[in-house]
Amino acid sequence: MDVFVIGQAVHEPAARIGEKRLEEIVFDVAHAALADAGVRRAEIDHVTIAGCDELDGRSISSMLLAAPAGAQLRDEMKCTDSGLTGLCLEAMRIESGIFDLGLLVSWSKPSTAPLEDVMRMRCEPFYTRPVGLNMAITDGLFAQAVTEKFGFDEFDADEAVLDAYRRADANPRSVGHGVPGIENIATSPYVAAPLRQAHQAPITDGAVAMVCVSERWLRRNPRARPLARVAGIGWRNEEYDLGANRLSSLTGFKNAVGDALKMAGLKTANALDLIELDAQTGFHELAFRAALDGAPTEVSTSGGAFAQNPYFCTGLINAAEAILQLSDGAGPIQIPGIRRAAAHGSHGFAQQGNVAVILERV
Amino acid sequence: MAKQPVALIGAAQTKFKTHYADKTYVELAQEAAKQALDDAGMEPDEIDAVVFSMAPTQFMGVNDCDRWSTAHVFGTSKPYMRIHAGGATGGSALAGGYMHIASGVYRSVLVVGADRVAETPDAQHILNLIWDRFYEHDFALNTVTMTAIAAQRYMARYGTTEEQFARVVVRGRKNALGNPYAHLKGDITVDDVMNSPRVAYPYKRFDICPRSSGAAAVVLTSLEVAKQKCARPAFVNGVSAITHSVFMGDRMGVFSETEFSDHDGEHIAAYEAYRQAGITDPASQLQVAELYDPFSTFQFPILEGLGFCGRGRAAAISDEGGWDLVGGQVAVNPSGGTLCTNPIGVTGLVRVVDAANQIMGKAGANQVPNVHNAVATAAGGSTQFFTVTVLGDDHTPKGIMQ
Repeated sequence: MDVFVIGQAVHEPAARIGEKRLEEIVFDVAHAALADAGVRRAEIDHVTIAGCDELDGRSISSMLLAAPAGAQLRDEMKCTDSGLTGLCLEAMRIESGIFDLGLLVSWSKPSTAPLEDVMRMRCEPFYTRPVGLNMAITDGLFAQAVTEKFGFDEFDADEAVLDAYRRADANPRSVGHGVPGIENIATSPYVAAPLRQAHQAPITDGAVAMVCVSERWLRRNPRARPLARVAGIGWRNEEYDLGANRLSSLTGFKNAVGDALKMAGLKTANALDLIELDAQTGFHELAFRAALDGAPTEVSTSGGAFAQNPYFCTGLINAAEAILQLSDGAGPIQIPGIRRAAAHGSHGFAQQGNVAVILERV
Repeated sequence: MAKQPVALIGAAQTKFKTHYADKTYVELAQEAAKQALDDAGMEPDEIDAVVFSMAPTQFMGVNDCDRWSTAHVFGTSKPYMRIHAGGATGGSALAGGYMHIASGVYRSVLVVGADRVAETPDAQHILNLIWDRFYEHDFALNTVTMTAIAAQRYMARYGTTEEQFARVVVRGRKNALGNPYAHLKGDITVDDVMNSPRVAYPYKRFDICPRSSGAAAVVLTSLEVAKQKCARPAFVNGVSAITHSVFMGDRMGVFSETEFSDHDGEHIAAYEAYRQAGITDPASQLQVAELYDPFSTFQFPILEGLGFCGRGRAAAISDEGGWDLVGGQVAVNPSGGTLCTNPIGVTGLVRVVDAANQIMGKAGANQVPNVHNAVATAAGGSTQFFTVTVLGDDHTPKGIMQ
């Protein structure tokens, strides 16, 4: 693909961003991304939004949020799957040849949304809703399935969580949860066996925006400073129903990453210097690593969801971290000589949907 | 100009009615998906990706119901995303599918969706929740009262009467008689509309669309696939959208860039879509217009915004039969339009289906002769999201590219 990121911004994360309305969070991050790119809103020819009505607590949340996201009198399109899906859509819109300079904005403020109530209402009304299925239970089922398939145990998950918190602790863009003791993880209450409370990445508020351009625009604006090239995109959905194969095969994850690698002209994940995974629990971290075809040099250097986890746009935060790495802006966690990185996002019950984007140094 | 031409080679819609007691939501979506694939002569495995069209899920009661629908619309293990733009969702989803093909990323995409607006006892209560929690929830603002305010402003600006709006309803219901999928249809009179119960001035009940349940789907492909599968595709030659601020007061007056009651966003989106499609004189180059008109007051400002006539002229042309199915200068809503059928999450897609069928010669009793180009619109939010799609029988734009 010939799509480039020339600016980005990540809102300062917090467990709860309490001093701003959602409109203000969205405006601030969109404005900061434009400033980072050195372009004015008047110059952009389209806006792509990734947002979730249910998490926003509004029936058509983009009604109030499109303008703060920069879309006033612009061609705007909104996807509702995940933030990283938004980057795939944005890349296709530019690659279509119709657009040249766009703003992608995604947000999530779960501190004001009863997350498990939102998830419970994702259940269809006939079978799963009466059972009371929710995100924790589906993640517990996922943990059971991958534990059996890959031979992990709870101790492995404890260690994976501890390791993720250590990486997050070194990331200056982390919420700053600190590093818990292993015993605190291992003895935290079960939420859905074998998943314990401390295995879950804490949910935070956050927002992220990127300015993307075509190669044609870059040729016309030679002074522009591309941060990274979007080389490949991939996204897949799996079945809604949770059977054993659906939970343990990680087919959607493998295919999404595989599609993105293929588009980027790569055969396996061995060609990656980094992959930032959207792992909502320690079991997910272990399972995604095991399912990867190949081994990137570094995995989730940022700490991933354990650094910040604005559920829904965590995958796009991963892309922002990857772009920082590729543009030598990652600060104390900078990976020397990094050339190519992947960002991963997931969404839906037990990761029904998976998204991957391959980014390259320019 | 898009890098790749995009062809629509299959289109389908279910019958629309208030309730479907014999089908679940996902079964409805599947019915449209299967029929669109059949129409395209394709099997599910030949579809590369799926775009799901769904507006607020609160009407039908399952959050992110697109995920529940994945297997039913043949999306398992495929690239799959949902597009949502309120009432404009169907038009935006079509554009999303278009981007999959135009970018060269995929060769075939199924755009599909379903809605069951009447699952909730009061759709207008849900539509009250679209507004700002602190300032607007409490004074009964909903889509009826919101558009009534705009209609009053339009009437004041151009002298349009309630009777002129009533003729739009009469024409729509009559056209719908020839549409086997339409929800409301009938041979009614202006008096019938005028005597229906008052809802919010200038609206009477017959000025307002029904709450519809049903589904729609289209198959989009690259030119290469279309050549193998379809003798007469409808090419998607122009797609555009415009988003406004939610605040209606900011869209009128001397400090506004646009005029709220004129649906100015539609005008901006239309002329970008026309530019892509090479349409330089819409009145002579477009034979069919399928408009998103959930209220009788929408047609006139939209037709004017689309460039079929000057501002304030559409009502008089309507009185003279200029928008009639037979004998009009352009056939407006040969299907009966949104006034007769409004499954909100797919209404914009239904407009595209009906416009494409006119291009492909599949519009049945309501087929307009010699259709080469057609336009389909959608609108949503506080009349703030607008989409325009231009379809043609040739992928080579015929006009002068500006």
